Amino acid sequence: MLAYHTRTALAAISRGPYICRSCLRRGKSLPLAVAHNPISIPNRTFQTDAEPPPNDNNDTTSFRKLLKDAAKKKRKAARDVPPSSKRAQKGKDPRLEKWELTVGIEVHAELNTARKLFSRAATSSSDTPNTHVALFDTAFPGSQPQFQRETLIPALRAALALNCDIQPKSSFDRKHYFYQDQPSGYQITQYYEPFARDGHVTLYPHDFPAGVSPEDGPVTIGIKQVQMEQDTAKTIHEPPSTHLLDFNRVSHPLIEIITLPQIHNPTTAAACVRKIQTILKTVNAVTTGMEMGGLRADVNVSVRERSAPSTEHGHSYSGVTGLGQRTEIKNLASIKAVEEAIVAERDRQIDLLESGGVVEGETRGWTLGNTTTKRLRGKEGEIDYRYMPDPDIAPVIVGKDVVAHLRNTLPMSSDDCVNMLVDGQDYRLTSKDASTLLILDDGDRLDYYFDVVESLKTIFSGNAEILPRVGKVAGNWVLMELGGLFRNEQWSESRVPSKQLASIIVHLLNKQITGRTAKLLLARKFEGDPSSVEQIIANEDLMLRPLSREEYMDLAQKLIEEKPDMVNDIVEKQQHQKVKWFVGRMMSKGAEGTVEPGTAEAVLRELLQLPPMEQK
Amino acid sequence: MSLLKHAKEHLSNQSTFNFLNAFVSLADRTSLLARAQSADEAQLASPHGARHGLAGKLIGIKDNICTTDLPTTAASSMLKNFMSPYDATVVKQLRGAGAIVAGKTNMDEFGMGSHSTHSAFGSVQSSRRGGEILSAGGSSGGSAVAVASAQCWAALGTDTGGSVRLPAAYTGVVGYKPSYGLLSRWGVIAYANSLDTVGIMARHVDGVKSIFEKLNVYDPQDPTSLPPSTRSHLGSSKTTTLLKIGIPLEYNISSLHPTVRKAWIQSLRHLEECGHTLHPVNLPSTQHALSAYYVLAPAEASSNLAKYDGVRYGSRAEGIDGTPSSVLFAKTRGQFLGPEVRRRILLGAFSLSAQAIDNYFIQAQKVRRLVSNDFNQVFEAPNQLVAGPSTLNSDGVDVLLCPTAPTLPPSLAEIENQEPLDAYMNDVFTVPASLAGLPAISVPVPIAKEDRNPELLEQGIRETAGMQIIGQFGDDNLVLDVARQLAQAVDLGSVHDQSDSITTA
Repeated sequence: MLAYHTRTALAAISRGPYICRSCLRRGKSLPLAVAHNPISIPNRTFQTDAEPPPNDNNDTTSFRKLLKDAAKKKRKAARDVPPSSKRAQKGKDPRLEKWELTVGIEVHAELNTARKLFSRAATSSSDTPNTHVALFDTAFPGSQPQFQRETLIPALRAALALNCDIQPKSSFDRKHYFYQDQPSGYQITQYYEPFARDGHVTLYPHDFPAGVSPEDGPVTIGIKQVQMEQDTAKTIHEPPSTHLLDFNRVSHPLIEIITLPQIHNPTTAAACVRKIQTILKTVNAVTTGMEMGGLRADVNVSVRERSAPSTEHGHSYSGVTGLGQRTEIKNLASIKAVEEAIVAERDRQIDLLESGGVVEGETRGWTLGNTTTKRLRGKEGEIDYRYMPDPDIAPVIVGKDVVAHLRNTLPMSSDDCVNMLVDGQDYRLTSKDASTLLILDDGDRLDYYFDVVESLKTIFSGNAEILPRVGKVAGNWVLMELGGLFRNEQWSESRVPSKQLASIIVHLLNKQITGRTAKLLLARKFEGDPSSVEQIIANEDLMLRPLSREEYMDLAQKLIEEKPDMVNDIVEKQQHQKVKWFVGRMMSKGAEGTVEPGTAEAVLRELLQLPPMEQK
Repeated sequence: MSLLKHAKEHLSNQSTFNFLNAFVSLADRTSLLARAQSADEAQLASPHGARHGLAGKLIGIKDNICTTDLPTTAASSMLKNFMSPYDATVVKQLRGAGAIVAGKTNMDEFGMGSHSTHSAFGSVQSSRRGGEILSAGGSSGGSAVAVASAQCWAALGTDTGGSVRLPAAYTGVVGYKPSYGLLSRWGVIAYANSLDTVGIMARHVDGVKSIFEKLNVYDPQDPTSLPPSTRSHLGSSKTTTLLKIGIPLEYNISSLHPTVRKAWIQSLRHLEECGHTLHPVNLPSTQHALSAYYVLAPAEASSNLAKYDGVRYGSRAEGIDGTPSSVLFAKTRGQFLGPEVRRRILLGAFSLSAQAIDNYFIQAQKVRRLVSNDFNQVFEAPNQLVAGPSTLNSDGVDVLLCPTAPTLPPSLAEIENQEPLDAYMNDVFTVPASLAGLPAISVPVPIAKEDRNPELLEQGIRETAGMQIIGQFGDDNLVLDVARQLAQAVDLGSVHDQSDSITTA
């Protein structure tokens, strides 16, 4: 939408040529559908560079800094505000009993394509500014658009994954407004005839962060339409007053996904955006996630009195009637921002209405860390976009065979993926762990988990006893143990390579090391020990050297004799759980990595003439 | 006569008629003559030594068609110093055929005008009648005058609503607008994309035809260029024997000048003498065509010209432009776009606005469809772009013959006192074929002896009126053939002056 000019970045400027000759050659030929491991979430297939884009580019850094600053600001605000004025922190807010919130969302996502929407210039996210720009991209006199039909493929995949009806005919329109990041003075979009309509996205309990689902059961949100459009140029501010333009991004293909105003809770709105993001990633339709700037959202917010007689004076948006006057909040760059902006705007509108005011139809902005939205322009300042069918671009006709082929080759949906992780015999995760894995790190954590499981399955392929447990054990290690280490750090799958974690788990499941040793090894690898797990075990003699039965007996006997009162508790008072105390003693008395708790307990129980322990 | 000799004559005329202001920029004389000479040598070396094709011929290029060797300004201050980084496809094709770009011709700014007076480089002037300077017509007035005064052999123009045909009619040359989508628009600065057509001007139909044959090729860089699969269906197999000539009755308007009406009747008589039959036909939507055109063309123009902001190329206003709350180029656009261009941008912006689009833009699109249907109903050949059974309409005609403009050229002095709407009236006969995308050509026909200006008659200057031949979509060759036949017939009919004499003062 209107110029993503608020995004800033520091980037080196070079005076590259406007027209990149190599763009004409670099684009690879694109297969109709890339063969996928049905559950893998691959990286950007069409990246034209040999190197993947660096993760720590300036966009991310500044965004993370933004988050930190926002958190700081919030903490400060919380300290400054007396507790009595804090509203709705806990329990039900009576105002929300009275007023119902309604939200519709527009999500903009950068499509994963090799070329721009209307020229053969290559797409790029981090290349030298102004090196991938065709004549049409900078609106040179006499230049004309050449629709790149391959860009339809990721767009169609996205629309199919969002359960849309693909339109056999769609067309492009010009949306006029002046801004320096929009070279032709208009954006080419699909206003009158979008390429996909009438989809939906369903949110399940696993789509919400643990335990915060405000909905009873699954909730379905309608998608009005999905349209293709051009991105704008990137504006780089050089304070105090210089604006540099990078036209590499101009005309990068985007899709805009417009939901119906059917959302009544800020958390649901956030979950909806996250779900759309997951779906787009799953079908390999988009370049990056929201935090990388590849996804942006606008939200429409209105409130209405629940008890008020419906329709009569209400507004109607996208066929949903009886709504309050809505405002639009533009250009939200994170899921957190979506949720917080909606809360802020909802509260502002309720305040206004309760004090006898009227909500104006206007466009508002929101900055991360703020508590209120800010008016950008009112109705009188509203731009008349003067939509006009583009006379140079023929309608897009999509054949049924193409749609059928793309539908048949669609990767597994995130919901099916959760089901597979829970019910599949290779994984057997809890529903909570499964959805956590799916949400984390744009799906990278899930990929990592699959790699670990794959290694373990190969190693234990003949082992009927251990094989059924590897999925769950791997899940624990990837989410809990490794997750704990990454708590305050950016995820990176290369920090502890999946093969190394698998090696640790193999040693553990083979009872070659103790759990404590395993955690120690993980920490060592996490801190950057260059040696392999095997080397560390060998060099530092961490391998469990099983004591002989006699040695176990001797050690146990010695410790039992030292604590007769404890033995009395166990044997006479039947406090069997106190056996564990002796197990701990045996492990600490024995040399590192020699005493295995299961065996120790069995020996102790034998000596104390207790029933053998239950099988886990 | 050798190509070099012709080239020298053209250059000499360029000096003589410099005051007509036909060119905005001229090619380098030395390299131009060198190229003409080498074309001569190449022809001598060829086995037959025959003169054919475009090799060594000087062709003027309207200044809204991109060239790398000369500036491309569209006669706008906005692009006063703009050098295009690429040649338009049509220029590339001409160069490929050995033609020499003579220079860039003057025009109405961005093609908006009917007299070639709205130019940042000053008005184009045509011949004199009495003491008065006549309008060259527009917007391709520079191309027309350059051809009429033999400053070049032929010229390219662009025709959106008559911009090639009207100046051809006013200056007495042949001006041809092919079917929409045949000639590439890649590198042609857009005025109204859905109407813009590259047009060809020359003193004879054969010259026009030889250029058309070189340029009539599919160009994948122009998304509206007709692909080979469509081209193969176009064109009827009709020859110029025994055609049915349609006379559109709606073109016989009350404001049609008697001299023009007489020339029209005379032309019809000539064609009848050739063995063709005449058939009155009705095109009822014609009366709305002009209004529809002046809604649609400015609407597209307001969109197409939004790119001129001085940010990436073009002129930029001195100092700080815009306020913190507005865009950065309001001042630039106000300063460098001329009054007629600004008028049409405002007109177009209004007709596309939310409050007006239904009553103006949408209505005009409907009228455009009606105009197109009118033509399809009177032609015998079906329109190959329209879906449905393509059967012959046996009551239909093969081509239409009507005047190109309702009057002879007005004087520049008359125009100065006109309202903009009066200027728009000049396009009343050319706009319908543009809206329907049909091939149309203006052929100069001598006016009746008794109507001639005695002063010009004495000088041996032949006064003409433009007659327009319109054909079904894709029937370009038939239109060209009828044009040639009409030109020959009227030449035989008038025993005066040889056609090679220069018609300009």
